[in-house]
Amino acid sequence: MRNSRSRAVVLTGLAYLLAMAWSVPSAAQPKEPVYVGVRVCSECHSGPGAGHQYSLWRLSSHAKALATLSMPESKEIARLSGSPEAPHTARVCLGCHATAADAEEWERDETFLIEDGVQCETCHGPGSEYMDEAVMRDRELAMERGLRMASPQTCMICHGPKGSHEAVLSTEPYVVETALETIAHPRPVSPPIETSAQGSAAGALRGSSNRRGAGVRGCAACHSGPEMGFQVSRWRMGPHARAYAVLATPAALEMARRSGVDGDPQVSYACLRCHATGAGHDASSFEAGFDSRDGVQCESCHGAGADYSAEAVMLDRPAAKAAGLQEPGPEVCASCHDQGHAGSPFDYEAAVAKIAHPKVPITVGATEPVYKTPINLALSPDGSELWVACESSSTTVVIDTSTHELLAEIEVGGQPHDVTFHPDGRRAYVTNRLDDTLSVIDVEAREVVATIDVGDEPHGVLLDSSGELIYVLNGAQDSVSQIDSATLEETKRLTTSRVPWSLALSPDGEKIFVTNTLSGFVAPRTTPMSEVTVIDTRRGVVEDRFTIPAANLLQGIAWHPSGEFAMITLNRTKNLVPMTRLLQGWTITNGIGLVWNDGRVDQVLLDQPGIAFPDAADAIITSDGRLALVTSSGSDRVAVVDLGKLLALLDAASPEERERVIPNHLAKSTEFVETFVKTGRSPRGITITADDKTAYVANALDDTVTVIDLERFEAVEEIDLGGPELISQTRWGEQLFHSADITFRRQFSCHSCHPDGHVDGITYDIEPDGIGTDPVDNRTLRGIFDTAPFKWTGLNPSLQRQCGPRLAVFFTRIEPFDPEELEALELYITTIPRPPNRYRDLGAPLTEAQRLGKAVYQRTHTNGGRPIPPEGRCINCHPGPLFTDRQQHNVGTQTPLDLEDTFDTPHLTNIYDSAPYLHDGTAFSLEEIWTRFNTYDQHGVTNDLTKDQLNHLIEYLKTL
Amino acid sequence: MNLFLAAAFSFAVTLIPMAGSAAEAPQPNVDQPAVSDLDLPYVYTDWKQYTVEDGLPNDHIFAIDVDGPWVWIGTEDGLARLDKRTGEIRSWREKDGLPWRVVSAIAADPDTGEVWLGMFGGGLARFSGGRFDHFHQLNSGLVNDVVYGVCIENENIWAATTAGASRYNTRTGEWTIYTEKNAPMEEIWNYGCSYADGKVYLGVWGSGVLEFDVATEHWKDYLDPDGEMEIDLYRDDGIVHVITTGVSYVDKTLWITTYFGASRYDGRHWRGYFEKDSGSPSDFHNAVKARSANEAWFSTDKGLAQVADFPTDTWVVYTTDHASHTGQAVISRGDRVLETRTIPPNIPHNYVLWTAIDGDDLWVGTSKGLAHAKGTGYFPGLRRGADQAETQKPEKQETNRGGS
Repeated sequence: MRNSRSRAVVLTGLAYLLAMAWSVPSAAQPKEPVYVGVRVCSECHSGPGAGHQYSLWRLSSHAKALATLSMPESKEIARLSGSPEAPHTARVCLGCHATAADAEEWERDETFLIEDGVQCETCHGPGSEYMDEAVMRDRELAMERGLRMASPQTCMICHGPKGSHEAVLSTEPYVVETALETIAHPRPVSPPIETSAQGSAAGALRGSSNRRGAGVRGCAACHSGPEMGFQVSRWRMGPHARAYAVLATPAALEMARRSGVDGDPQVSYACLRCHATGAGHDASSFEAGFDSRDGVQCESCHGAGADYSAEAVMLDRPAAKAAGLQEPGPEVCASCHDQGHAGSPFDYEAAVAKIAHPKVPITVGATEPVYKTPINLALSPDGSELWVACESSSTTVVIDTSTHELLAEIEVGGQPHDVTFHPDGRRAYVTNRLDDTLSVIDVEAREVVATIDVGDEPHGVLLDSSGELIYVLNGAQDSVSQIDSATLEETKRLTTSRVPWSLALSPDGEKIFVTNTLSGFVAPRTTPMSEVTVIDTRRGVVEDRFTIPAANLLQGIAWHPSGEFAMITLNRTKNLVPMTRLLQGWTITNGIGLVWNDGRVDQVLLDQPGIAFPDAADAIITSDGRLALVTSSGSDRVAVVDLGKLLALLDAASPEERERVIPNHLAKSTEFVETFVKTGRSPRGITITADDKTAYVANALDDTVTVIDLERFEAVEEIDLGGPELISQTRWGEQLFHSADITFRRQFSCHSCHPDGHVDGITYDIEPDGIGTDPVDNRTLRGIFDTAPFKWTGLNPSLQRQCGPRLAVFFTRIEPFDPEELEALELYITTIPRPPNRYRDLGAPLTEAQRLGKAVYQRTHTNGGRPIPPEGRCINCHPGPLFTDRQQHNVGTQTPLDLEDTFDTPHLTNIYDSAPYLHDGTAFSLEEIWTRFNTYDQHGVTNDLTKDQLNHLIEYLKTL
Repeated sequence: MNLFLAAAFSFAVTLIPMAGSAAEAPQPNVDQPAVSDLDLPYVYTDWKQYTVEDGLPNDHIFAIDVDGPWVWIGTEDGLARLDKRTGEIRSWREKDGLPWRVVSAIAADPDTGEVWLGMFGGGLARFSGGRFDHFHQLNSGLVNDVVYGVCIENENIWAATTAGASRYNTRTGEWTIYTEKNAPMEEIWNYGCSYADGKVYLGVWGSGVLEFDVATEHWKDYLDPDGEMEIDLYRDDGIVHVITTGVSYVDKTLWITTYFGASRYDGRHWRGYFEKDSGSPSDFHNAVKARSANEAWFSTDKGLAQVADFPTDTWVVYTTDHASHTGQAVISRGDRVLETRTIPPNIPHNYVLWTAIDGDDLWVGTSKGLAHAKGTGYFPGLRRGADQAETQKPEKQETNRGGS
């Protein structure tokens, strides 16, 4: 069977062997099993002697698992899984709906067909090393060669409760024992004596065909995928695809006997005539890929297709007809179904409707209304237009500032975040944080003229005063890209702090200040320490880094026209005391910072007695330097700050007061906030016209822009950006997520700790069980729905439990969400998209380091050859596609502060962007998990790994 | 001094007498253009010394790199930054956030302004905008914390460590380790690192020089054709010894130092330099820094040596006599001393550990402070009748300087 492998596979394998020989001691050379596919297994596992194991599989849901991803329900499930990709291309879906979906090409024999869905090797392991009959007859040897016998735990990796599926499918709860009975495929202890069926060998009856059959696999080359209406998937899910396999059932056997067919129906022409395309013809009648066990295939109705299946012929309908393409009619169906076994007359119309497979493109994407979600906005240099980056619609909306009419809506990349203009006003630039790109837009033509790759999750963008250089903040890569605006080539990349968010150019054009929304890594039991990064625009280097103590979530930024300081928005999170201190106003306080040129920082809160100023998101200062406007996305307001009063307050304070008292004072803002202006829902970005008369605020969650008259400090208009009027349940949940109405005195929202649905990088003390007891690292919400249970202890079985009463008791301290709200909130959280993995595309070849790391991840023996017990293997507790077994384990990370020693197993998808790690956030890097916190090999057997092996493992982990 | 470093130096010192017993090597096979004794190189005469008294955190200077107005100085107990415009020195010790006291290597990236520090026992650090980011064996993929050399290759940082070389991709965060497993590294004690023209050169203690082609990721090794012998059986047949301490690749020419002599390779021809038959004051070289294909500076245990003009084998050796508070610049052609000039004190100690080239200027690190040589009027190569004012003619022009 190995001879059937393609040369490419062999060459790749040889190359890999050579690489391994160079880099790995010979004693540790791993095997390189490849997937051979169910059809290879079927060579021995078909027929009555083998208990018809192949046919039993073919009749199971596993055989059509991949095809089901074409169903509308799958789209909704994918959405609830946080997948921004279509289900048939999403790694998280394919991981359970197809065998070896994420394998490299060389890992699949040419006999392997992913279209066969969940095949034998999902449970039994890739078969190339044990498939030989001689090996298979020696179970012990086969196991040594990689044969696995699935356990119930194996099934639960994919069949464990998944909120996304339960929300969409009305299926009965999965009971593994029942499921195992359903898919049982025992081999008969005493195989029946195989007898020739009536008519004997089918091939002898009709000889060769005039036209050769290509088989459904030939058709699938063109008739798969959404643009072709998933035609082959539809066939796969229909009865025709099972027509051959069904002959293996006892019912078929009985029916055959009643019809006078003795022996195995699967070799009876009388049965096969209607149960398998091409029955009766000899092998010369078919192309190589034809498999009669695919049942009733396309060519039963459309005629043998080898002569017309070429795309060029098919596109020329007369030519295709001339080459044998048939237009099926009632007589074609009648030839089998009139003599069928149903007992009732054949209803042609109903049957055709049932198997209809129009070549109608299927839109792959959410059925959810497409909202706008404006995040940031910018005025054109001449002030005539307002451009708004809309995250949900992946567009930039253009507004006429004189009429407030919508002039255009320009499609950009996924999740646009920020927008800015070239000083000459001819180009606009939009960051797309889902796609990791920058859209370059011709302002006059209103079209994207270039899309360039930047770093991961780009957020803020601006140009220097000359317009020669573009600066883009790579939020998930802790860097800023400098790009030549003429060539659009990235010229350099500078290091920021963690998750750079916004940036602003100093009035003299010589500096750019960058806010970083996450604190740097700090020692346990110490406060966050955030950074404003200072870029020298003349040299294009990081000139300084100003520390913003005890603050985090630095986001908005604006320079004072004097150039003496910039204003930033910030939170002061009291994560070292239990969150129940909320009642004392001591959990998250919100405000602004004045970052002076020399690095001094003054922090003041905008919270006031009785009502906080949650989620300060953006700031802008009038050109006369008199006023600053700050948005609060959690309370739907804009604070108008009298900078004269604020500066006077600071000047009058002692250094001690400025450092220790004012940053924590909950009433000081009454002395310098002129007023608060009500806005639309969740105001984020803000800008001001050059004449200081008007401010525009992007209201993310009602798709509007609030227009504020700065002479009256009033919202005078709300510009509708054209989003759907209907507020879906998901959208409602999103509004709840971003609103602080749920917390005592509106101190914070869910978004406060999960900006962008992600993490704030902080370790919290939550429950009132003592100061510092049970510290927990914040975990991302991206794609978490199917990773239940939740919480580091794994005690919360559902998001509703997590976000319901528990949230009220330990976090928000007022009435919890009501059931309807809770349902909506849960729905929204489930749809927070998990960005595609940035280190490896689905099925892409692994780098050498990643490939070696995968071997470490899957290894069963130490470097010294000692067997690693299952619980000491990475893959045992972190199996794909979610890379968690969803169990609790003691991995030796308990500290004196922890009350428990077991912790929930986190999923590893996109693990590279959610540092720090471990339950208490004490591992600042992936390396530290094993170099510092795995002394006794409890978190996997790793202490025998060499340094390069650990590096390889980490490179592989980054691909998950 | 850290035990590792001390051990390395001591080991080398014990081997020096062995080098002295080497058989007479063939004369250099270098085409000598017509040149007269009046054709002389530039001699640095304007020197300034810096020690702890001037603000350096420590006088043991292990590494220097220059980026614009800044001179970055790695010492045994701290990092220093000298502002060339003002002469002001700012320093960082562990209490100031420096992750480790011994800074043994420095590579300043003029593009990003980031300064990469190799630390002897402390791993690697990025100093940017006043913040130190520390990478070490436990928190990163760095192969070993004893870092001798650092160099910048595109978006990658290379660290030459005592247990192999590490390559850190600053964009992807990937760490790649090169050891005997995946490189022709007979020994894994990496000493020096140099990058230019798409090639990374590693000086490996016991494994010669390794060349890594960035485009193809292929390795090439340069080993001593005489094996591990401390003699050079055949002149100019390859690297003089595999115990390599420094590499510098400039103008497609590779300059190499070992504890048993130095070498130059232009891609076709090798040239070996020994104390006995060249202007070099010693075979014990700590490092080399080339200015061009024709000019290189050797940090030796007996002064600062310069191949001032390769085609004519013209050398200048700078030393300071602390007893007399005078300096000397000895100009040689091959092993023949042309002139010995008395100049002001130059290097603060004759045990030289590092040299950095800064345009026409030089910065020299010694075991007792830093020296700055101003290259006012500097010219490459030779000039007829170059400044003779301070020349002190040797008694015997033909003296073979022998081993001293």
